[in-house]
Amino acid sequence: MSNPVAIAAVSEMKPGRYPDKSGFDLYLDVVRQFLAEWSVKPSDIQGLLACPSGMAEGGSNDIFVHEQLYEELGIHPLFADTMNAGGSTYGLMVQRAALAIKQGVADSVLCLGAGKFPKVGTGGAELMARMVSHEIYEFPYGTFIPAIYAQVASRHMFEYGTTPEQFAEVAVSSREWALKNPDAVMYDSEPLTVATVRGSRPIATPFHLFDCSIPVEGGAAVLVTSELVAKRFSNQPAYLLGMGEYHSHRNIHQAPSLTNVGCRYAGQQAYQRTGLTPSDIDFAEIYDAFSVNPLVFMEDLGLCEKGKGGEFFESGASRPGGDFPVNTYGGLLSYGHTGDASGMSMIVEGARQIMGLAGERQLNKADVGIVHSYGGMMSEHSTLILGRQA
Amino acid sequence: MDENSQSSASIPAKPQPKITPWAGPLWQGCAEGKLRLPYCNQCEACFYYPRLWCPQCFNQGLSWQDVSGKGKVYSFSVIHQSPLPSYQEDLPYVLAVIELTEGPRMMTNIINCEVDAVSVDMPVEVTFEARGDMKIPQFQPTI
Ligand SMILES: [Zn+2]
Repeated sequence: MSNPVAIAAVSEMKPGRYPDKSGFDLYLDVVRQFLAEWSVKPSDIQGLLACPSGMAEGGSNDIFVHEQLYEELGIHPLFADTMNAGGSTYGLMVQRAALAIKQGVADSVLCLGAGKFPKVGTGGAELMARMVSHEIYEFPYGTFIPAIYAQVASRHMFEYGTTPEQFAEVAVSSREWALKNPDAVMYDSEPLTVATVRGSRPIATPFHLFDCSIPVEGGAAVLVTSELVAKRFSNQPAYLLGMGEYHSHRNIHQAPSLTNVGCRYAGQQAYQRTGLTPSDIDFAEIYDAFSVNPLVFMEDLGLCEKGKGGEFFESGASRPGGDFPVNTYGGLLSYGHTGDASGMSMIVEGARQIMGLAGERQLNKADVGIVHSYGGMMSEHSTLILGRQA
Repeated sequence: MDENSQSSASIPAKPQPKITPWAGPLWQGCAEGKLRLPYCNQCEACFYYPRLWCPQCFNQGLSWQDVSGKGKVYSFSVIHQSPLPSYQEDLPYVLAVIELTEGPRMMTNIINCEVDAVSVDMPVEVTFEARGDMKIPQFQPTI
């Protein structure tokens, strides 16, 4: 792309439970850690995007959170907003930031996220359930998040013969990566097996407990800049080579298809805008609230044949040492799902792999990576292609 | 949650849909035992759920049509654990998306059968379940 844009700096809190901190407290921790890790001057932040951190707390009182954040920072941005597209929020933030930078509105945009989950037994899960379905035409039937994603899994099983064991393979692969990531909540745990996943408690067929991501809290910062600014932060920034987004529905019964989802169209745009094809991609970081998602998205991103996602994960290719690493930080399944901030984790990891900052799990070949996130009930999709060469 | 507080007497009622002014005939149909959907005269097609315009062509001149109430399971899940207090007594229950013969898809439960008997593509037909003073569409295996 002309006027190259890059991710110049990333920082993420260690995910965990922070019961004494509000969503905004987490935001302050994220900013403090980011400023300590990278030598950032106030003039380095010309734009700021943030997301309400209180959705899972049951009511956002921070729908103007960007105002408080830029005031705390003491900056006067030329470009700022609070936005929310669920898990795709941060992918879309990077896209909005890139458009602003290419347009010359700002040279740098700081994207921030923080997220909390409700305390168990406070009715938060029911509130979330009500929030993710149509109040009139879905919620009266007993909808909640895993039950909605299970519809996607069942349909894939019907159309392509995918098995519950193949979904479990996704969780097994993610756990192997988490065991290499000291920040992952499952870092100190045991490897998973398909039998352990299938033997965990049933939630909503075909999902058992370990097919579902682990709710935690946390947050992250991603600084998107022009190439000139990026070079001041890093010799190897993560260039944004391509991007695409697509919004297909809000409520799952309105999805045009459960097996060809908006990911496909977001991915196609990202490829078209770069001239790259799936064969150019070295690794993928894919939003995985449930085990089914990376399986479907590998297909929709053209990284394996339609209907062969199950075989792909069964082959072990996605695991450490495999031919096509997926979710190299442990995924939301084993790294942890930080609620409103969850869409940050795969962007941070994608950028770290490109920048060579991934520690023990650094890939040998990470020239070009794809980062896909979605929001809502597979409603809206963001695809980013990151690379080492502008 | 305190499990002892969930005595059968204190189980909350299942949600009752809010009736929007433009969806009246849908709920009137349910009360009469008919599945009545909005119909676009330009597209010559029904759609679900009721809206102020046709989502295919934006036509606002809509009418209503009684449909067959028959269709197939598009996808489903057997729910073993649910955060919803009003559904605890029903566990395990089936949450499904069905596709009507006329095209539109609907969220529903599959009722009046064993949960293990449900499969994708299975033929189903509409039935109606009381919710407070109204009835809502539900689906069961075609008899
Ligand atoms: Zn029409």
